[in-house]
Amino acid sequence: MPFDLKRVSAGLGVTLRRRLVECALAFAFCADVAEVFGASGEELYTSAVKPLLQERCYACHGALKQKAQLRLDTRAAAMKGGKSGPAMTPGQPVESLLWRRISASDVQERMPPEHEGEPLSEAERKIVFDWIQSGAPAPSGEEAEKDPREHWAFRTPRRPPVPRLEGVHSRHAVDAFFGAVHARLGLVAQAEAEPGLLLRRLSVDLIGLPPEPAWIEEAWDQPGGWYERRVEQLLADPRHGERWARHWMDVWRYSDWWGLGEQLRNSQKHLWHWRDWIVESLNANLPFDEMARLMLAADELAPGDLSRLRATGFLARNYFLFNRHQWMDETVEHVGKSMLGLTFNCAKCHDHKYDPVNQTDYYRFRAIFEPYHARLDLVPGETDFEKDAIPRVFDRDLKSPTYRFIRGNEAQPDKTQVMQPGVPDFLSPPFTVHGPIRLPLHSWRPELREWVGRDHFSAALNRSNATESERMRALAAHSQAPDNAELLHRWMVAEASAALAKAELHSVSVRSKAGASEAAEWVSASPALARGDRLRGEAIRAERRVAAARAALVLAQARMKRLTAKPGSVAEDQAVGAAEKQLSEALARESSPIRPDETFARLEGARWTPTRFLSSGSDDPQVRFPSESTGRRSALAAWITSPQNPLFARVVVNHVWNRHFGSPLAPSLFDLGRKAGEPVHRDLLDWLAVELIESGWDLKRLHRLLVTSDAYRRSSSNHGREGNLALDPGNQHGWRRNPLRVEAQVVRDSLRAHSGLLDFKMGGPPVPSAQQAVSSRRSLYFFHSYNERNLFLSVFDDAKVKECYRRDESIVPQQALAMVNSALAREASESIARRWSQELRSSDPSGDRAFVEMAFRRLLGFAPGPRELSACLESLQGWEGSKQRGESARAQLIWVLLNHNDFVTLR
Amino acid sequence: MRPMFHRRDFLSGFGRGFAGLALGAVLHRDGWAAGHGLESAMPGAPHFAPKAKSVIWLFMNGGVSHMESFDPKPMLNRYAGKTIAETPFADTQQAKKLAIERLVVPDANGNQRNTLYPLQTGFRRHGQSGIEVSDWFPHIARNVDRLAVVRSLWTTDSNHGAQTEFHTGRNMLDGDFPTLGGWVHYGLGTLNENLPQFISIGTREYWNQRDGAYLGPAHDAVPLRIDPSHPLDFGKPEKPERADWRAGGFDLLRKLNRERESAFPSDPALAARIASYEMAYRMQTSIPGLLDLARETDRTKAAYGLDQPHCREFGMQLLVARRLVEQGVRFVQIQHGGGGAGAWDAHGGLKANHSKLAAAVDQPVGALLNDLDQRGLLDQTLVVFASEFGRTPGSQGSDGRDHHIYGFSCWMAGGGLRRGVVHGATDEIGFHAVEHRHYVTDVHATLLRQLGLDSRRLELPGRKRLEQDHGRPIEEIMDS
Repeated sequence: MPFDLKRVSAGLGVTLRRRLVECALAFAFCADVAEVFGASGEELYTSAVKPLLQERCYACHGALKQKAQLRLDTRAAAMKGGKSGPAMTPGQPVESLLWRRISASDVQERMPPEHEGEPLSEAERKIVFDWIQSGAPAPSGEEAEKDPREHWAFRTPRRPPVPRLEGVHSRHAVDAFFGAVHARLGLVAQAEAEPGLLLRRLSVDLIGLPPEPAWIEEAWDQPGGWYERRVEQLLADPRHGERWARHWMDVWRYSDWWGLGEQLRNSQKHLWHWRDWIVESLNANLPFDEMARLMLAADELAPGDLSRLRATGFLARNYFLFNRHQWMDETVEHVGKSMLGLTFNCAKCHDHKYDPVNQTDYYRFRAIFEPYHARLDLVPGETDFEKDAIPRVFDRDLKSPTYRFIRGNEAQPDKTQVMQPGVPDFLSPPFTVHGPIRLPLHSWRPELREWVGRDHFSAALNRSNATESERMRALAAHSQAPDNAELLHRWMVAEASAALAKAELHSVSVRSKAGASEAAEWVSASPALARGDRLRGEAIRAERRVAAARAALVLAQARMKRLTAKPGSVAEDQAVGAAEKQLSEALARESSPIRPDETFARLEGARWTPTRFLSSGSDDPQVRFPSESTGRRSALAAWITSPQNPLFARVVVNHVWNRHFGSPLAPSLFDLGRKAGEPVHRDLLDWLAVELIESGWDLKRLHRLLVTSDAYRRSSSNHGREGNLALDPGNQHGWRRNPLRVEAQVVRDSLRAHSGLLDFKMGGPPVPSAQQAVSSRRSLYFFHSYNERNLFLSVFDDAKVKECYRRDESIVPQQALAMVNSALAREASESIARRWSQELRSSDPSGDRAFVEMAFRRLLGFAPGPRELSACLESLQGWEGSKQRGESARAQLIWVLLNHNDFVTLR
Repeated sequence: MRPMFHRRDFLSGFGRGFAGLALGAVLHRDGWAAGHGLESAMPGAPHFAPKAKSVIWLFMNGGVSHMESFDPKPMLNRYAGKTIAETPFADTQQAKKLAIERLVVPDANGNQRNTLYPLQTGFRRHGQSGIEVSDWFPHIARNVDRLAVVRSLWTTDSNHGAQTEFHTGRNMLDGDFPTLGGWVHYGLGTLNENLPQFISIGTREYWNQRDGAYLGPAHDAVPLRIDPSHPLDFGKPEKPERADWRAGGFDLLRKLNRERESAFPSDPALAARIASYEMAYRMQTSIPGLLDLARETDRTKAAYGLDQPHCREFGMQLLVARRLVEQGVRFVQIQHGGGGAGAWDAHGGLKANHSKLAAAVDQPVGALLNDLDQRGLLDQTLVVFASEFGRTPGSQGSDGRDHHIYGFSCWMAGGGLRRGVVHGATDEIGFHAVEHRHYVTDVHATLLRQLGLDSRRLELPGRKRLEQDHGRPIEEIMDS
C-alpha cells in the first residue's frame, strides 16, 4: 500500500504533521521523490512543500503580510512574484529566486532573515529544489489564504440556526448540532449511561464529590425527573462553587505566595481572599462578565467595596519582587490567554507569525497594566498585615511610560515613542480609555475606613492592658524583695513598657482624630480650621511622647542588662550612656515648638507590597496612594466583556465545555488564533457563546444546558458502536462520552468523603503544608504554591501554578504507589469498611454479598457483575478465616476497590 | 480500520501526560510506529544510531570555581591584588562584553569583583594527555585521560536560577521549560520496565523545577533516596498492613480491572492503568535490592569511599547510580550540595569550602569512572560533571569569589566521546570564554546526539523551541 502522506497528515496534530514532513524529507534524501510519493510533484507540493512554506514563509509572504509585495500561499502567487520579479522558474530551481534566497550563504540575502527564523535545513531546501525541478506543479483551483482579520474567532459570534432534523426529535440544541452530523456521517449515538455511573459523573462534575448514598438509591429507582432534579440540587449546593472555583483557579493561575525563606517574592500574602471571592461569586451566580470586570478592575469599578476588591487578586498574583518586566510579561500573556484566547506572548519580540497582532500591540496591551501595583488592605478586626489583609491592586504610577523593547530585549527600550494603552484594533468593539477616574477618599486614605482607627485603638488598648498587668506583677515581685536588684530592674522595665503602651494608645487615638479632621478639610476644601491645626499639634506631640517613652524603655532595658554584665565589660556601660543621651534628646524634642511643616504619621489602613526593581538591595521608595486611577483596566474590562468582543464568550464556553466533556470544542483552550486550527463544531461553540451572552452571562444556566444534553448523558463505552470507530475514532462528534480521569482534588476529597472524614467548612486561610496530612478540609483549601505542593495531589497532576489551562491526565506508576501505600488510602479503607459494615448490620444482615454490592455502587458507580461478585466474595473468604477478622478483610476489599481504575475515572 | 486512527484517538483523548507515556512505551511496544515507517519520526526510539544508552549527570549546586578545578589560571597569582583595570586584561570588563547577563534575582551577590584573587590551590598536569587539574581533585585527575573537558561555557543568569537554566536551557524569566532529563525521557523508550527511567538523587531545593514542564508530569524525574527502607515517595506502606494479603489484593485488583474490559472494550486508559500497577509493583520490589550495597565487594565500597565519613554519602549515591545504569535506567541526575543556593556557593572562605566539598566528591567520581570503565559500561554511559556557573576571578570580601557566568567549565566522559581532550578556553584570567564558546544547551545537544536523538524532532504543538534551546553538538569532543 502506498504511503498515503496526505491522509495521515490531515489526521495528525501539527507536530506529527511536521515530523511526517521531516520523514518525507528523509525519504527525499535517499530516493527519487516521485517514487516515494507514488505520484507526482503535485503530491509533493501539497504534502510537503506547501506545509513547509506555510510554516516558514507565509508569516511575511502570505495573507498576514506581503513583504516585498510577494505572496507564496499559492503557486500562482509565487509565479506572479513580488518586487524582485517571479519567485520561480519552473524546471529551473537554480534560476529561481525562491530557491536562491533560501539557499543563500550571505546572511543579508538569506531567507528567512536573521532573527525571523532559522535557515531551512538542507533536506528542506532539497524538497523545494526537487519540486521546482519537476516543473513546480500544483493542483488547479488552489485558494489563497484568507484575510487573517476574517478568521472565524476574530468576528463577533452570530447565533447559527439550530439544525432541524427530519424525523428526529431533538429537545436540545447541543444534541441537534451533533445529531445533524451523526445523520450525515451515519454515526449511531451511544445510549444513556447506566444511572449509577451517570449520577457519579454528574455529582463529581458539579460538586467535586461522589454522590451520597440516598442519591444513589434514588438514581437506581429512577423516579421520573430524578436527573433534572438532581442537577438543580447540585447547582444550588455551595460545594458547586468550591468545585468550579478550582477549575477557574487553574485557568487564572491561583497560587499562594512563595519566595525564598520568609521573603515574599511572588504572588501575595492572604491570596485566599480571592479564592473565597471566586467560590462565593460562582455560588451566587454572579454574571460571568461581571466577574471578569471585577478581576481586572474592581479598584476602579467598585473602589469602596473591599469584598469586591478581593477579585483583583487575579492581578495581584502576578506580583514579582525583583523584575517589573517579568511581572508585566506574565500579565500580558495570561490575560491574553485566559480571557481572549490570544497568544500575545508570541508578539513580544516580533510581530505575531500567525495572527494580525503586531509587536506594538503587545506593548500597547502592556501599557494598560503598566501603572498597577499590589497592596494589602486591612480587614475589620485585624491590624497585623502578616496575619490578615486583602491583597488587591491599584494604579500606583499613573505616568509610568511603556516602551517597545527592540526584539523584546528589555535592555533596549525604544524611547522615541511612548506606547499608549490599546488592544489589537482588528478586534471589535473600539477600545477607549475615558481618562482618569477619581477615587473615593477611603480608597486612597484607607486609614479613614471606620474600623481602621477603631481596630488600631483596640489593639493599642490590648497592648496597654497587657503591659499594665505585667507592670503590676513586676511591682508585686519587687515589693516582696525590695533588695533584689534584678527584680527592681524588671519592675523599672515593666514601668517603662507600660508607659510606652499608654503613650502609643494616646497617639493612636489622637492621630486617628487628626487624620479624620485633615480629611474633612480636604473633602470640604476649606482652609485649615483651627480645630484641625490643634489636632495636628496634638498628634505630633503624642508621637514625640511615644518617642520619649520608647527611649526611656531602651534605657531601662540597657540598665537591666548592665546588671548581669561580666565584670570589666564596657559595652553595657556604653549602651547605657547612649540610651541616656537619646532619652534626653527625645525629651528635649518633646517640649520644643512645632514647626509649621511638621506632620504626623497617619494610621496604616493599607500597605503597598514593596518592590525591588531598582536593585538597590532594599525596598523601592514608598509613594502615597494616588487619589486617581488611570481608567485603563476598567476600559479593558469593558472591552473584553462587550457583547461585540468576539473572543471572551468563546473562551469561556470552551473552558466550561472542556471540564464537562473532557475535551474542548476549539482545539486549544488558550489560543483561538489561526495557528490553533478550527473547531470541528464551530456552530455549536458559537451558538453556546451567543447563548451565554444573551442569558446575561449566566454560568449556571450554561452548566445546566450542557449536563442535561444527551451528549453529556451518554455511555462512555464503545460497546455495540464498533461501526462508529471507523467513522469517528476520536469521538469528535460526541457519539459517546469520553471517560475522564478525575483531578487530584477529587481523588483525595472522595477518599475523605467516603470515610466520613471530610469537613465541609468553607473558606478561610489555607491549610499549611505541615498540617495537610491530617487535615479533613477539602483539597481546595490546601496551601498550594510554586514551592509548596502536596505530594499526594502532585502525583495526580495537580495544577501547575504558572500555567494550567488544562490538567494533565497522566497514568504513571507513582499514582499506583500513592493509592496502594499512602496512609490516606489505607485509613480510608478501614474507615469505610467500618462505617458501611455498621450501616449494613442495622438494615441488611445478608453479609458480605450486600457489602460488596454496596461498595461497588458507592465507590465505582456500578453494580458488580456475577464474576466480579464471586471474585470479591472468594477473596473476602480467603482473608476472613475467622469471623473476628471480618472487618479488616472488608477493609482490604475496599482498598482494592479504591485502587480500581474506575475509582479515579468518570465512566 | 486503519490502526493509526485508532492510535490518534488514543493520543488525543488522554492529555499530554498520558500521551507521553503512550508514545514512549506503548506505541513502540506494540510496533505500530514500526509498521508505518515512522520509526525515526516518533518519540520512543532513537532518531539515529546511538553511541550511548544512559547518562549519569553530576551537578554541583552553588557554582564551582572553574579556576580552582579544571581551568587553572596562573595569571591570577601573578596579578593577585591588582584590580582588573590595572592588568593587561582591563577590556574583559567592557560593558558590551557583559551584556549577556539576564539577572532574575538581584541581591548582594552576582556582581563583578574587580580585585584579582590568587588561586587557592595548586595544579599540575596529569595523565598522557597532560591536562591540568587542580590539586583538590586528585582522583578525578587520575582519570583525566578519560575526560573531555570543556572550558568555555557561558550562561545568562548570574544568580542561582542558573541551576535551572543549565538544565532547561532557558533563563527563568522565560518561564518553565522541560529539563534535559525530561527530554531524554520523552524521547527514548525504556530499557527496563521494572525501573523508572529518569531518577533524581539528592536535594534540589533552590532549583525547584519539575522536569517534565509542558511535556507533562509523566516526564518528571522520580526522586530516589539512598535509603533502602524508604527509597521512593509512597514506596512502601505508610500504615501497617497484612503483608500476606497484599498479593491477593493485587490479584483481585487485576481481575476486577480486566473484567471491566468487557463493558468498556478497547479503552487505552484502562490498559495503561493496569500496566501502571504492574510497573509500580515491580518498581517497589526491584528498587530496594538496587540500594542494597551489601552485594558489592568491600573493595568496591572502599574505592567509592564508603568507609570514609567525608565522602560516604556521595559515594553511596554514585555507587547506586552505577547499579541503576547497569540495570537500564536512562538518566540518573545527582545533585551535590543541594539546599538553599547550593553548598559550593563560596562567597567567602572559598579555600575551606571548596577543599572540603572537593574531597567529598572527588574520590567517588574517580571511582565511578574507573568502575564503569572496568565493567565495560563507560562506552555506553555518559558521565557529566557540571555546575551552574563558575566563580569570579576577582575576590569577594577577603577570601571568596562571586558568581561568574561569562566563562566556566564542565567535563563529560564516556558514551562515545573522545578521551583526554580539552576543548575551548577562557581568557588568561578565566573571565570570558574566548575560544569555542558554548552556551549550556550545547552540552544538551552533545548528550542527545550521543543518545541518538535530534532535539529538533522533539517538539510539541504550540511549544515553539528556539535555536538556543537546541544548542549545537560539540563535534570536536566526539569520536568520529
